[in-house]
Amino acid sequence: MSINWPVFADQLINGLTVGSFYALIALGYTMVYGVLLMINFAHSEIFMVGAYSGLFTMNRLAEMGLYETSPALAILLTFLGGAIGAALTGVTLERLAYRPLRKATRLAPLISAIGASFFLQELVRLLPTIGKAVMGIRLGGQSLFPVNWQQSIIKLMDDFGGSKVKIYPGIMTTAGFDIGDIHVRYSQVVILVSSLLIMAALYLLVRYTRLGKAMRAVAEDKEAAALMGIDINQIISRTFLIGSMLAGVAGVMMGMYYLQIRTTMGFVPGIKAFTAAVLGGIGNIPGAMLGGYVLGLAEAIGLQFLPAVYKDVVAFGILVLILIFKPTGILGEVVAQKKL
Amino acid sequence: MRSRFVTTLFERIRSDVPAMQWFLRGLTGLLIIALLVIPLIPFQQQALWVRVIGYTGLYIVLGLGLNVILGFGGLLHLGFVTFYAIGAYTYAILASDLFGYHLSFWVVLPLAATLAAFTGILLGIPVLRTRGDYLAIITLGFGEITRILITNLRSLTKGSQGIIGIDDPVLFGVTFDSGTHYYYLIFAFAIFVIFITTRLSNSRVGRAWNAMREDEDVARMTGINTGHYKLLAFAVGGFIGGLAGVIFAAWQGSIFPDNFNLFVSINVLCLIIIGGVGSIPGVIVGALALIALPDILRQFSEYRLLIFGLLLVIMMILRPAGFLPSKRLQIELGQAREDPPPDNAASTTGGKAS
Repeated sequence: MSINWPVFADQLINGLTVGSFYALIALGYTMVYGVLLMINFAHSEIFMVGAYSGLFTMNRLAEMGLYETSPALAILLTFLGGAIGAALTGVTLERLAYRPLRKATRLAPLISAIGASFFLQELVRLLPTIGKAVMGIRLGGQSLFPVNWQQSIIKLMDDFGGSKVKIYPGIMTTAGFDIGDIHVRYSQVVILVSSLLIMAALYLLVRYTRLGKAMRAVAEDKEAAALMGIDINQIISRTFLIGSMLAGVAGVMMGMYYLQIRTTMGFVPGIKAFTAAVLGGIGNIPGAMLGGYVLGLAEAIGLQFLPAVYKDVVAFGILVLILIFKPTGILGEVVAQKKL
Repeated sequence: MRSRFVTTLFERIRSDVPAMQWFLRGLTGLLIIALLVIPLIPFQQQALWVRVIGYTGLYIVLGLGLNVILGFGGLLHLGFVTFYAIGAYTYAILASDLFGYHLSFWVVLPLAATLAAFTGILLGIPVLRTRGDYLAIITLGFGEITRILITNLRSLTKGSQGIIGIDDPVLFGVTFDSGTHYYYLIFAFAIFVIFITTRLSNSRVGRAWNAMREDEDVARMTGINTGHYKLLAFAVGGFIGGLAGVIFAAWQGSIFPDNFNLFVSINVLCLIIIGGVGSIPGVIVGALALIALPDILRQFSEYRLLIFGLLLVIMMILRPAGFLPSKRLQIELGQAREDPPPDNAASTTGGKAS
């Protein structure tokens, strides 16, 4: 089997780009696992909400004309919109669905997360329907909201969610530069570089700030951290905030890169990002970053030997092998064996 | 024999009061009779009800299978659909026009279930050492790999075109070609599987599983070969999942890869949790709540999945042990103060089984 080098190089570059998405999402899994020792099964939905919020922000900014006047600021605000949407979802989720279960058996938060995952997917899908239903409510002949608001609220909800595939405007083009036979897109470089910058910032935050120190203390031992005067609830909430923002940014990037988003878009990247987190050693922040890129590249290499439809099998196969032979992952610390 | 599982069925509800016990037995008897005559007496939308109850029965069988793995063995398996798919596709391949084999349902049934049980063991061997959440994610991966394989191994499964024209079972010259036939077939299988799993849970094997679920290290130290019992749990659960798959394929007459997606695994898991992990009556209640209810609501509301997700969260917060929690689990966890002390309960169970 001969290897077509330009194609292979192209796939490797793509692998690095996709690896950035995996790494950003994996960080959310790994940080939550670090402080709560639970798999946030709904993280993939937080990522999805991030992509939708980003698109929503983008459409609003485009209406205001900001994309023509100062595109750089507009793109930055789009990412911020995605991050805020995801962060709100993540923090609310933690507060309502996970916090009451902190002392429950290990199964309870997992099921709760599965439920939340269904709920979020359906909420985004049904938002226009819900909007119309709520606007249709009449109280004694009077509608709940002023008539001129109704249309715009319905329109906004229609713009946010819905069962149809949503299309991201093509901001990221295929333009780029060539190295020999290999075409590198600017968008790929931008995604890779900005992801690395975000991750570096996160690493510094966790390593050197008070918040980071508190997060590490909570991950190490909740009781002891509480005795040292750390507000556990606050730290866990902020961990969800940060992890969700990263997922939101990844969602916007993915929307811009693949141009299409749908409510079920979270599942596959979610489980792959989880694989990446395990690959790097769950609970370990640099590990999740490394794991994301290793997985992205491994999938690109796998494409050389297997038909494209088996791409997902590669990721799952890696996950199974890692968990069997080196469950602590590449950079993993020894996490105490936990039971159901 | 019959009264044994009926007793266990309501073990939880004040079984120490004889009158109550007889009342519950009578109620169960009435329920069984009612279920048996539903297809015979005509009423409005009967076909729909027969289908919904049949479907619920199928999920009771699936739930009982996963209950062996999760409830008895304490192994969180999120890829239960694998066994279901293996059962269904084995029957579809061996009893349809696809390759021209038309083996009898009653020959393929044990064959397919055994194949699913072996798959359970094969997939179980590599994951013996992993626990808890990791096991959950690996098995989730297995479930997805199954779906990808049956979508793409076109020469064997015809991929997304699916296998159509699957044979109906024939028993004593009667061809099972109506919903009513399958209703009774599923009913019989559900009773059979309820019986088997009840017996298993009260057996030596069942107690070994209990010990293993509560504390794997201690179980191993008391001489229980935990690896052996884990594989046994996967095998029994796989067998039951395979049975359900064969019945499903025969009932539907055609199967597609989409019938075997992640939501099957998730649904089965949720119905166990809602009913109460490890509790056989719980599985029945859970199946009613999760499968029958949304199916009946289907015609009314497009919000059902939204409500379903919300209910799961609320349920976990308000009643994490399920509607009908396993009594044994409660005793072991020391949650039920009113129940007899643990040593007492243990000796009763021991006495029954020996």
